[in-house]
Amino acid sequence: MTLNSRITYIWIVLILATFLSWQFGHGFGFGEDYRSATTAILVITFIKIRFVFLDFMELRAAPLPLRLAFETWGIGMCAILVGLYWTGA
Amino acid sequence: MRESTLKPQAAEPHLPGETGVWMFIIGDVVIFSLFFGVFIYYRAADVALYAASQLTLNQVLGAFNTVLLLSSSWFVALAVHAARHARARLSARLLVAAAGCGIGFVIVKYFEWSEKIGAGYTLVTNDFFMYYFLLTGIHLLHVLIGIGVLSFLWSVIVKGDTSENTIVVLESGASFWHLVDILWIALFALLYLMR
Amino acid sequence: MNSKSQMVCIWGGFGFAAVCLMGFILAGFIPPMSPSLSAREIAAIYSENTLSMRFAVLLIMTSAGFICFFVAGIASQLQRIEGGTGPYTMAQISAGSLTALIFVFAAVFYTQAAFRPDRAPEFIRIMNDLGWTTMLMTFAPFIFQNFAIALCILSDQNETPIFPRWVGYYNFWVAVSFIPGGMLTFFKTGPFAWDGLFVWWVPFTMFFGWYVLMFFIVRKAALTGVPGTT
Repeated sequence: MTLNSRITYIWIVLILATFLSWQFGHGFGFGEDYRSATTAILVITFIKIRFVFLDFMELRAAPLPLRLAFETWGIGMCAILVGLYWTGA
Repeated sequence: MRESTLKPQAAEPHLPGETGVWMFIIGDVVIFSLFFGVFIYYRAADVALYAASQLTLNQVLGAFNTVLLLSSSWFVALAVHAARHARARLSARLLVAAAGCGIGFVIVKYFEWSEKIGAGYTLVTNDFFMYYFLLTGIHLLHVLIGIGVLSFLWSVIVKGDTSENTIVVLESGASFWHLVDILWIALFALLYLMR
Repeated sequence: MNSKSQMVCIWGGFGFAAVCLMGFILAGFIPPMSPSLSAREIAAIYSENTLSMRFAVLLIMTSAGFICFFVAGIASQLQRIEGGTGPYTMAQISAGSLTALIFVFAAVFYTQAAFRPDRAPEFIRIMNDLGWTTMLMTFAPFIFQNFAIALCILSDQNETPIFPRWVGYYNFWVAVSFIPGGMLTFFKTGPFAWDGLFVWWVPFTMFFGWYVLMFFIVRKAALTGVPGTT
């Protein structure tokens, strides 16, 4: 069941990423540089989303245009959010 | 169980579920993208207020709910694979576990909201709480619908039928549930984590 | 079933979108006046544009009638799915009729805001408030019309489905986009106020987009249907 175990690995990584970004919000890794921490939180969030799309929703095997649409959305949305964040930071 | 030739993954492209479901998913993602964008746009205009209000949120409950939904998605993904391998009973049990996590999410949300409302924070307190209650509320509506969808999937697979039609139904519902998960991952970062 | 009478009804959808939009534009509702305006400011809008407001509201009132025809046009196709007037067909008719009523009542309230320009500003504002609340907070009938259509389409057991299945999911999506409408009760500014992104602009676009798109979809379904099968 290689596919099942892949799904499980992804799940473990997602849980770890959740705790990592949670700790970034408390000064872990970035100290008082909260703007970098927030940027990291947002980037990790969209990496998590990408893996849910690719492995849980199986976009990895889906027709390429659909996969590209979601990949583009992920990168674009992340860039917009980070950009808007920095305008106020 | 070995990778069988049934697996569409390696071979030609395979769209999980119905095409129409993906139209809905894209549409929903568009609406939530507007929510995210508007939230962070207004946040940038009044960072102090948003940051101060955010401090009152219970990050532990938020993180716990993230874990619940991630696990729930994991169970659903496993359930789809189990059904593809004609293991209907296992698939049904995994769906029960997934729905259980979903119900857990709702219960945690109930306590989280009660705590906030009890402390005097409502959706008219300030702009941050407006977004907090409305975005988590609209998301909660998705979770409730999703639990309904999972129950429906369970009622289909529990009959033991793992024909191609059943798999398509299962994939369609599963895709919606993963979407609910994805929207929460983003909301968790925006509302609870970013500073 | 007479295919000509079906077409007359289906064109009602187009008629509604055209007449109602003209009314909105003439009334200056695009973009809408802010709910945070003072009574005096609201009264000024109505007293400066009394005549155009009255005509505009008359158009909005007229457009409500077209909805009824379009609802019947949709119902004729849903009947083909259900093999008669089934529950979803009836749910669609009743929810769709309520949508028409929303425009009737909203028009009555706007009319009263423009009826006596010499009224105290507070009274003019309350009529204006009633108009907007009736128009935009009333998400439920339209959403349940979407649900009825979506559920009916997705339950289609015909050899060749009357509608493509994505139309069902499309209706679910339109319904979701309308949910924030109810939030106007809490806010006078921002994206959830009645002139905001999620109460006005998104539902406005989705609503008229729905009428135009559904007009073409229902028309196609009626044209490909064999007349007299129901």
